[in-house]
Amino acid sequence: MKKYLFLFTFLIAGQIARAQTAADSIMNALNATTKPEPVMATFKSTWLILSQTTETVKKNNLNFLVVHRFGDIGGPNGGGQTFFGLDASTDIYIGFEYGLTDNFNIDFGRSKFEQLIDLGFKYALLRQKSDDSTPFALTLIGKAGLKPYKVNTNVFYEYSNRFSYFAQAVIARKFSPAFSLQIAPGFVRNNLPFPYLPGSEKQFFSLSGAARLKLTKRFGVVVDYSHPFSDFRKNNSSINFYDPLGLGIEIETGGHVFTINFTNAKAISQINYLSDTESKWAGGQFRIGFTISRIFDLNPRHKSTWK
Amino acid sequence: MKYLLMLLTCFATAKQVGQAIYVCKNANVSLYSKAPIEDIEAKTAKGTSVYNAATGDINFSVPIRSFKFDKALMEEHFNENYMESEKYPQASFKGKISNAINLSGDGIYPVSATGILEVHGVKQNRTIPGTITVHNGTVSMAADFIVKCADHHITIPTLVFHNIAETIRIQMAANYEIYKK
Repeated sequence: MKKYLFLFTFLIAGQIARAQTAADSIMNALNATTKPEPVMATFKSTWLILSQTTETVKKNNLNFLVVHRFGDIGGPNGGGQTFFGLDASTDIYIGFEYGLTDNFNIDFGRSKFEQLIDLGFKYALLRQKSDDSTPFALTLIGKAGLKPYKVNTNVFYEYSNRFSYFAQAVIARKFSPAFSLQIAPGFVRNNLPFPYLPGSEKQFFSLSGAARLKLTKRFGVVVDYSHPFSDFRKNNSSINFYDPLGLGIEIETGGHVFTINFTNAKAISQINYLSDTESKWAGGQFRIGFTISRIFDLNPRHKSTWK
Repeated sequence: MKYLLMLLTCFATAKQVGQAIYVCKNANVSLYSKAPIEDIEAKTAKGTSVYNAATGDINFSVPIRSFKFDKALMEEHFNENYMESEKYPQASFKGKISNAINLSGDGIYPVSATGILEVHGVKQNRTIPGTITVHNGTVSMAADFIVKCADHHITIPTLVFHNIAETIRIQMAANYEIYKK
């Protein structure tokens, strides 16, 4: 009898033990089937230093951008006499980006450089997925620029000469919570070649690359580089053109994202800096710049449903 | 004969134990925090749970990324800056409901679950009060409790300190069904 009682207890205990581990394995099975989520915040902001990122402003959100480039830090135009370029500003950009949907933005901005006004769109076609079913994000950018005034170019015989265009496909991947990288092939068209010189092409392709490394949750370093594929810019005997390169730090405070950077490019808009960067890092021809991005959520104020 | 009966009883019990596992794949979890500038509120219906009625074991898990906020930026900050959802994708509770519940009859039973609450990768021993409701054979559970950010090493920078409360209220509601293999 005792023997059977032992067997009985053993069987019961075995069943309970099995049920216990079953609970864990059922739990694992339940969680294994969860859908992959789109990867969030590949970059903290829609702009880095030179490039726009794959990030879009979400629906009914307005991003207000103030971007600034000061004068040369060193060289003939820099040094103490201009307080290392802070007395001068080579470009100021004020822009707005608005989310029509979470994936589609329209944007508008105005540059001091050539007094360029640009109107554009940004469309997030693909988002990176957490399970790598989509391993990268793809965002398309289109811009039309208009130069309403004569600044350096004074040969606008026809009004259409004032227009310029920019198209870009931005491909980005968040490799880890700290490290994101993007590459972006682009295309620039100036109806009137800019700068307006013999041999200057109306249109050319470009390639940009940018990366962000977060050092803390709210602080990171960014690097941003662009190259225009242009024979005119490559083999020019009278003017030297240089590839724009920016290095900077990025700070997020909640609603704001600040970038403080150094770059050789004087201009902020892609149309301008890809067409005309004549300053180089060597010889002090680089400058301090900053970007302030502030998001305003225009959705109605949240009404609590909490009981 | 006596032994045969005993053996039969044994199998019958075993079968009962096998049926006593309840699962939920769409548990509602909401979080709420009252803050001076704006109340923070988020919801998800992607919680999962397994309840073993025979042993009282309760497992509960919720994907952090599935919490939806009204404001996109709040959601991003919640995931990126506070919960670090890429490093710690789930919040979970694993414990035992000590109270014996008769799941065959209708009723509302106040219970408490003791176990480990893991949020932001930090484990805390907690006893969480809740209720089990049995109605026409369906089992559901509800709980309402407070999580302190500091307990789970969720740091709030001084710069935004006043926008965010230090405690978050969590509500969960889950309807269970009998687990079928």
